[in-house]
Amino acid sequence: MSESPPEFPATRCADCGLLYGHEAYICRECGSETFERAPLDGSGTVYARTTIRVPGSDHQGEEPFEVAIVDVGGEETVRVTVRIEENPELGPDDPVEFVDRRDGVFYFRAA
Amino acid sequence: MNDVCVIGMGTTEFGVREEGIVELGVTAVGRALRSCDVDREEVDALYLGNFVAGMLEGQETLAPLVADSVGLVGVPAMKTEGACASSGIAFRQAYQAIRTGVHDVVVVAGVERMTNAETSEFTRALGSAADHGTDGATGLTFPGFYGLVLDRYMHEYGATREQVAAVSVKNRKNGASNPRARFRSPVTVDDVVDSRLVADPLRLYDCCPAADGAAAVVLASADVAESYTETPIAVLGSGHATGRSAAYRYDDLTTLEATTLAAEEAYDEAGISPSDVDVVELHDCFSAAEIGDSEDLGFFEKGEGAAAVAAGRTAVDGELPINPSGGLLAKGHPVGATGIGQIYEVCLQLLGEHENQVDGAEVGLAHNLGGSGAVSTVTVLGGPSGV
Repeated sequence: MSESPPEFPATRCADCGLLYGHEAYICRECGSETFERAPLDGSGTVYARTTIRVPGSDHQGEEPFEVAIVDVGGEETVRVTVRIEENPELGPDDPVEFVDRRDGVFYFRAA
Repeated sequence: MNDVCVIGMGTTEFGVREEGIVELGVTAVGRALRSCDVDREEVDALYLGNFVAGMLEGQETLAPLVADSVGLVGVPAMKTEGACASSGIAFRQAYQAIRTGVHDVVVVAGVERMTNAETSEFTRALGSAADHGTDGATGLTFPGFYGLVLDRYMHEYGATREQVAAVSVKNRKNGASNPRARFRSPVTVDDVVDSRLVADPLRLYDCCPAADGAAAVVLASADVAESYTETPIAVLGSGHATGRSAAYRYDDLTTLEATTLAAEEAYDEAGISPSDVDVVELHDCFSAAEIGDSEDLGFFEKGEGAAAVAAGRTAVDGELPINPSGGLLAKGHPVGATGIGQIYEVCLQLLGEHENQVDGAEVGLAHNLGGSGAVSTVTVLGGPSGV
């Protein structure tokens, strides 16, 4: 991939500035309920990954699929739980990039 | 503050059971009451841990149903839920009620029935302990959570797959002589590392089996305990803490702080350090979990837990026996019953009556964990000579 990946849709607490990857309803740092958009560079690195081969009934037929914990962003990063597309064998520290968000799930692929 | 003792205990076998959820619970509670000289009218309350009876069996309101069925008429009865830590939490609540003088005698039970459901159905039910909107939405399962933990652990500390497999080998060997266990056949390291992948790098024999079962104990204030039994087991310390709500919330996925916080509270209250513990039943829902737990509970330095198991340091005849019952990996994991099942096994050790008896066991520890490290209880128990 030579082009930059899409921006990652992070948010930031409008009061204390704490960055969030997944939605927050109240800031765990300061208690604020106000958040603003804070898009991040969509490149990231794998912190840990697993391949789900025995899914729950809500995900039957999708197996095997990879779930990873990814640190996404450039200078500033947030950690998120994601699906890895195309099921490559990624491991800790491998580079990945944001693809899109579907049905509330962040999808990444090998960079 | 009143001191608190275990004065009675009862359990069913853990495994594939035909009984319904209420019958399992009633059986364990009835056995616990019969094991000591407590009359039903002397019981002040019933606390019952359960997780998935509502989802898998369509049965809720379990605590009042069990109380009525066992003849505990009119007492306050309540269910506690914290996924796999459900009955550890029940124990903690009963302990606090006695400690603060609200009650004198309380029955605590845990019960679960799982094997009547299809694998995908109980995987979904167990998965409901994960945060539905984040980890859960990706399809991450509980084996998957510990797959992530193990992936990171092996990366950071260089532990080998074979070292991790040694947990399952040890616990299946221990379970072989425990009549309460679901699995009573040993396995080898090759069996584990050749078994099919479930959630890489975790394989089938790294995972505890589903099970049905129930366990119960009777707790009493120390003031009255000796009128019910000659061998009360002292509750020396109790801890209960919450941790991170999802896998992405950990800065370090190899340490589950619900455990470290609950352990710190329990050790402080007992006035002991990890080196004072003689026998441990900890939450080995997966081989990787036992390694992390053994470090989080302070028995080994971070990163040394895998090598310690492989070297035999946690065997029944090792320096610190861990899961001599066979743990969840061999006994099975009827999730809501597990926490009291662990306390039952530790009490047997402290009474000197366990099938895999640890010589001279005077201080025992039980550790129960629920969700993605979301909640943990730690209980420190002392032998009858210390009451």
